[in-house]
Amino acid sequence: MLPHDVRPSEFVGSEEGGPNDGAGLAHATYWRSLAELANSQEFRALAEAEFPAAEDPSGLSRRRWLQLMGASLVLAGVNGCRWKKDEILPLTTQPPDRLPGQFQRFATAREMAGAAIGLWVTSVDGRPIKIEGNPKHPASLGATDAWSQASILELYDPDRAQWIVDRTGQEEIAQTWGRFAEWLRPQLAELEKAQGAGLAILSEASSSPTLIGLRDRLLKRFPQAAWFEYEPISRDNERLGSRLAFGQVVRTQLALDKARVIVCLDADVLGVHPAAVRYARDFSKGRDPAAGPMNRLYVVEPSFTITGSVADHRVPLRCSEIAWFAKALHAAVVGQAGENATTGEPTARADSSTQEAQESSAATATADVALMLSFVQAMARDLKANGPNTAVVAGPRQPPEVHALVHEINATLGNVGTVVWYTADPDPDRLPHVEAMKVLCEAMSAGKVQMLVILGGNPVYDAPADVGFAEAIGKVPARIHLSLYDNETSRRCTWLLPRSHYLESWGDARAWDGTYSVVQPLIAPLYDTRSAIELLAMLDGQAEVDPRALVRERFQQIVGEGWESRWEAALESGLLADSAWPPTTPQLARKPAPSILGSPPERGNGAWEVVFAPDASVYDGRFANNGWLQEMPDPITKLTWDNALLLSPASAASLGVEHGAVVRLSLGGREASLPIFVTPGVASGTLVVALGYGRTAAGKVGGDLEGGTPIVGFNVYPLRTSQAMGFARGASLTPTGDTYPLATTQDHSIIDVVGMRARGQRVGDLIREFTLDEYREKSKADPHFARHVQHLPPLESLWQEFSYDGRRWGMTIDLSKCIGCSACVVACQAENNIPVVGKDRVLRGREMHWLRVDRYYRGDAANPRAAHQVILCQQCENAPCEQVCPVAATVHSREGLNDMVYNRCVGTRYCSNNCPYKVRRFNFFNYRKDLEDPENEVRKMVLNPEVTVRSRGVMEKCTFCVQRIQAAKIDAKNRRVSIPDGAIQTACQQVCPTQAIVFGDLNYKDDQGRPSRVAQLRQADRAYEILAELNVKPRTSYLAVIRNPNPDVESLALKFT
Amino acid sequence: MSSVAFPAFDNTSDDPTVRAPLTTPGQNFQTITETVCRVVERPRPPLGWYIAFAIAVAWTGVFFLLVVYLVSTGIGVWGNNVPVAWAFDIVNFVFWIGIGHAGTLISAILFLFRQKWRTSINRAAEAMTIFAVICAGLFPALHVGRVWVEYWLFPYPNQMGMWPNFRSPLVWDVVAVSTYGTVSLLFWYLGMIPDLATLRDRATGTVRKLLYGLFALGWRGSARQWHRYERAYLLLAALSTPLVLSVHSVVSTDFAVAQLPGWHVTLFPPYFVAGAIFSGFAMVVTLMVPARAFFGLKDLITIRHLENMNKFILATGCMVGYAYALEVFASWYSGNQYEWFAMVNRAVGPYAWCYWTMVFCNVVVPQLFWFKSWRTSPWRMVLVAVLVNVGMWMERFVIIVVSLSRDFLPSSWEIYKPTWVDLGMLAGSFGLFFTLFLLFCRYLPMVAMAEVKAVLPAAHGSGHRH
Repeated sequence: MLPHDVRPSEFVGSEEGGPNDGAGLAHATYWRSLAELANSQEFRALAEAEFPAAEDPSGLSRRRWLQLMGASLVLAGVNGCRWKKDEILPLTTQPPDRLPGQFQRFATAREMAGAAIGLWVTSVDGRPIKIEGNPKHPASLGATDAWSQASILELYDPDRAQWIVDRTGQEEIAQTWGRFAEWLRPQLAELEKAQGAGLAILSEASSSPTLIGLRDRLLKRFPQAAWFEYEPISRDNERLGSRLAFGQVVRTQLALDKARVIVCLDADVLGVHPAAVRYARDFSKGRDPAAGPMNRLYVVEPSFTITGSVADHRVPLRCSEIAWFAKALHAAVVGQAGENATTGEPTARADSSTQEAQESSAATATADVALMLSFVQAMARDLKANGPNTAVVAGPRQPPEVHALVHEINATLGNVGTVVWYTADPDPDRLPHVEAMKVLCEAMSAGKVQMLVILGGNPVYDAPADVGFAEAIGKVPARIHLSLYDNETSRRCTWLLPRSHYLESWGDARAWDGTYSVVQPLIAPLYDTRSAIELLAMLDGQAEVDPRALVRERFQQIVGEGWESRWEAALESGLLADSAWPPTTPQLARKPAPSILGSPPERGNGAWEVVFAPDASVYDGRFANNGWLQEMPDPITKLTWDNALLLSPASAASLGVEHGAVVRLSLGGREASLPIFVTPGVASGTLVVALGYGRTAAGKVGGDLEGGTPIVGFNVYPLRTSQAMGFARGASLTPTGDTYPLATTQDHSIIDVVGMRARGQRVGDLIREFTLDEYREKSKADPHFARHVQHLPPLESLWQEFSYDGRRWGMTIDLSKCIGCSACVVACQAENNIPVVGKDRVLRGREMHWLRVDRYYRGDAANPRAAHQVILCQQCENAPCEQVCPVAATVHSREGLNDMVYNRCVGTRYCSNNCPYKVRRFNFFNYRKDLEDPENEVRKMVLNPEVTVRSRGVMEKCTFCVQRIQAAKIDAKNRRVSIPDGAIQTACQQVCPTQAIVFGDLNYKDDQGRPSRVAQLRQADRAYEILAELNVKPRTSYLAVIRNPNPDVESLALKFT
Repeated sequence: MSSVAFPAFDNTSDDPTVRAPLTTPGQNFQTITETVCRVVERPRPPLGWYIAFAIAVAWTGVFFLLVVYLVSTGIGVWGNNVPVAWAFDIVNFVFWIGIGHAGTLISAILFLFRQKWRTSINRAAEAMTIFAVICAGLFPALHVGRVWVEYWLFPYPNQMGMWPNFRSPLVWDVVAVSTYGTVSLLFWYLGMIPDLATLRDRATGTVRKLLYGLFALGWRGSARQWHRYERAYLLLAALSTPLVLSVHSVVSTDFAVAQLPGWHVTLFPPYFVAGAIFSGFAMVVTLMVPARAFFGLKDLITIRHLENMNKFILATGCMVGYAYALEVFASWYSGNQYEWFAMVNRAVGPYAWCYWTMVFCNVVVPQLFWFKSWRTSPWRMVLVAVLVNVGMWMERFVIIVVSLSRDFLPSSWEIYKPTWVDLGMLAGSFGLFFTLFLLFCRYLPMVAMAEVKAVLPAAHGSGHRH
């Protein structure tokens, strides 16, 4: 009830501009929102009183009474709402370029392992929410990898290092940069006296010109200081190989779009390569038989990589045998160098030279070897026939000798200058990463290092096991780690300096081909963090550091005249035009000569070869705390939240171990326990382990021993020594008798015989695959041959079908181009606010991805062909889900989308049962409960405001990014223009490195009456729909896989064990 | 009056020239009233009742605690996943709704067919129906993701201007089950009015007098009331009869209308109805055999009653077996690889043991009822009936879970495993069912006295012998 001493008239006074003791309303003449008004105590009192005027109606006019009644009714409604209310305050003076809720794009670049990819980042209300590729950037061409997509989650990770931690004393103390600078000053003075002796800097690989400039300046100031670079996944063997071949360090560049024949020797050029996104695009240009000549890809590798999964011919071979294989290829190609290298006809000499080689190894040559040599012969013939349009690539695991051989092969084939070219290495004199680590550790152990500054990285976790980094670092008195996270290394250091994320710092970087980009911040640092260049400037003694000025200064040095206008252009476009390094033409240091092919290395009995592989999710471990990546199924194994010991079914059978059994793997006296993952395509006797798991100080996602978060996966770095960074021989396995649950998103359980047989029957319909010859023949006979693989009776609908007079959205997915990289999975997750559910729920089959990439194997069990199939909601025209929803929560839009009305859904899950593609995902729990935790407040910033955050108990699914469609429609309507074809891109389409996904309006006709691209592709000869026999009329079509096998190889009928 | 034992009494003769008596000899109006009312009027039920009730109530408590856990946490406390979005929840629903079929069949259809032996068992069977429908109704109500907006499934005028989607079988389900529940309840209650009046008239305590009096609706037994009563009973019987057939037919459309291999079967409506009657009779036998022993109702619920029900079980069991065979045949004959795989997967896939348990319990075990010894031995028939219900639960599991776990795209195949909450709620629903049934035994007339009296020879005057 209204207290008598608070007269309504007093309140009236406040509204007329008088003084008011209510919060924040002292000068308010008009209130801006009801919530604001409700903040005044009187008003709250009035609102709570049921009939405010009834107590004393005499003092109140009728008008006033009605006003108050109205307001209190409204407020009663406000209080009755279920959701928590927050105030929003509009800007009183709005910046000219800022419209609330409007999306803006800025160009920036992200650097990883010393190479950059150009990005476009979408920002809304000052916070970046989505990352896209920069179409102008040569390393991106508009696409990105999964890591770039997920890096936005890293920005908002509450586990990031947020303040300086001083571990110099017994206790950890949170410090400020000022205090650190105070501590640093006398130390630097001391060092300066000693010419920098005792100062060591360990940096991750970086291409940043600013950083390199600061490095040089620092080394000038401290001439005795030492600078080291280390990356656990290093491409140094390439550098060493080029030095062997050319006498100088060069970097190999590829133009795969010009290649007709590509040979990858343990090289995952489409997956893990600094230019993989670019290479994938170039490669995909040769995978569409209608668009021009097709390329042919040969891959020789120890286990499936995504490159191997799309190869026309793939040979599983032990890592250690690839050198022998390269020699054989070298003998077959180079053996007759100088004669007629570009002639396609195999000459007698070539044959004889390899025959010699064959004879030389006759003592040990088995039928396998002979068969392999025939394969090499066939491949060599193919290479020579395509001379300048070929590329032979060796992977970073292979020793320098293999790279040197490959350079010679390429030189002989004459492809240098067309497909393969070389650029000078930006830093040719640096120590190889492993050497650098050894030298540093020796220096530290000898007590020669007084201060160690580590820029990024996590060497305590990922340094070679035998160099003893973790022990050696203890001998350094001052250990400073600039890091995004308080990781294993930071915890062994005396100072943890929080590092700025690339989205909140100024910087610059160069792509693999040298293209210069400015790293432009999208947001001010969320915490008191600094970037590497800021720290280096600090070490250089600069008091006030302006990183932007540093970058500009460096830019000025690079560009020279007229830099100012180009600076603006570089910021806007994201790169400095024409800044790629010029090609060099190194000369082979030694004359290619027919090499003597020895026998393949002894396999030995019971000795296993361990291959260390970069992980598709966490790379070298740096993304361990990224939930999107941890939950992204591995492109091949579909394993989430773990690594495992991959081996072939035959190997598993010979060992007598089963999928999921935990084994102890010992290698040179070092041991690790990890579970078995039986998967086809692994070379016999090979055990593949992914790096980057088993982090003990990653965070609340990736595992934190001290913080009580369980460790994710198994750490295999303790097995990896400086002698064997890529692969190691002589491992042994002992079963422990334990089993371990492995959370895969496909083949959740081991499939029995009936299941296998049924799957085998269905794969042919799901993934329609033809050879190029078959394609040519069939497409001539039938312009819809892929669709007609399945004969359909006349299909009739039970209901009156929809008619579409306006827009008709559709999608095509080219399976011939799809390499299964899974960037689309993460892009979809980022765009559509898809929650991460965790390993336990993946084990239960409750992963939430709207878009999944199914992987099927076909053919020979020991060396099957793999195929990837992106499955998302097919937006059926006769949608079975719509019919069975009792509350009409999933309904058909006029444009043919199956709309999901989240706030109408009651969660019967009937739609999912009736969905033949099983693309619907159910919120079994409140997956956003953790966001209620105040410490997770920052994580909300990543959410796309255009997409509903779904509550518990509702079904969700892909909507072809309806928010993007609506935004484009609204924009087009406002501007009174039509939406041109291709203007709307779904998130998965936009990120796809191979442009396998095409989306658009099937009814679209441009001014000339030409249909949209998607409409053309839907009518293409390769187009088909899966499960079309159900008459669901899917709007998503697939384009059949076309393989381009070499008939000579086909006839060999290669068999592998 | 102590119960009279007639060890030599046997009314299971199949001699067509002799009309078999429906009660033990010597029963008259007085003894029937005494026998039935005694159960309710005893100051204290037997110790066995207390023990059974304590166990049942404990499980009911477990059930509702799990409901609280479920609603507060989410459907994820169950083992459901994608693709197996329906599992124990809907299995239990279909199981209980099937159980709920026998009561109305006995009361309505057998009434229309003038099967007088129904009189001794119809009350308990109807009660069982009501309780089974309650258990059944809880599961779909609880299985939705957002229980708090469940009322959107009902067609009611609302500010959203939304109708439910009448194409969806779930809406049909809502209508069918709620209609069935309502009509069954009315039928049961209407039939009970004269007996409630008897209890009222005999009641000694005020509370009893008041409550029985309230529910007896002022029944005086006048000729006019009897006339009205008979008419109403007949009408409700006629109304219930199609419902018996329709409810499970509609429930079966939840599956038959969907296109999932293993669900998309036109055979489902009759197959489900036969299965429901099969399981319903099995449950009546399971309940009646101990009830007639513990509450001294052997004079009224004779071996012949039980044997008749066993014959139903045998007949419907054969129908179910035929349906299984036809399902296999149809999926093979369809030439559809998905349909055929759904069958093969049931028989030899990862859940093969469920399928073969189902076949054993539902097809093999009821064949024992070809033997009269099995049909007439109370404890042996209970064994068969319990196995039949195990089999029928398995049948629903096989249809729902096994079909869902492996559908069209092999990439989405997934094994389903129940959680402890699933198992707890299944057990808890039995607790709830038995709690309600035990309360019924204690407080309401278990046998329709008025109707049994009507089939006594005495009711037809002297000289007319049954």
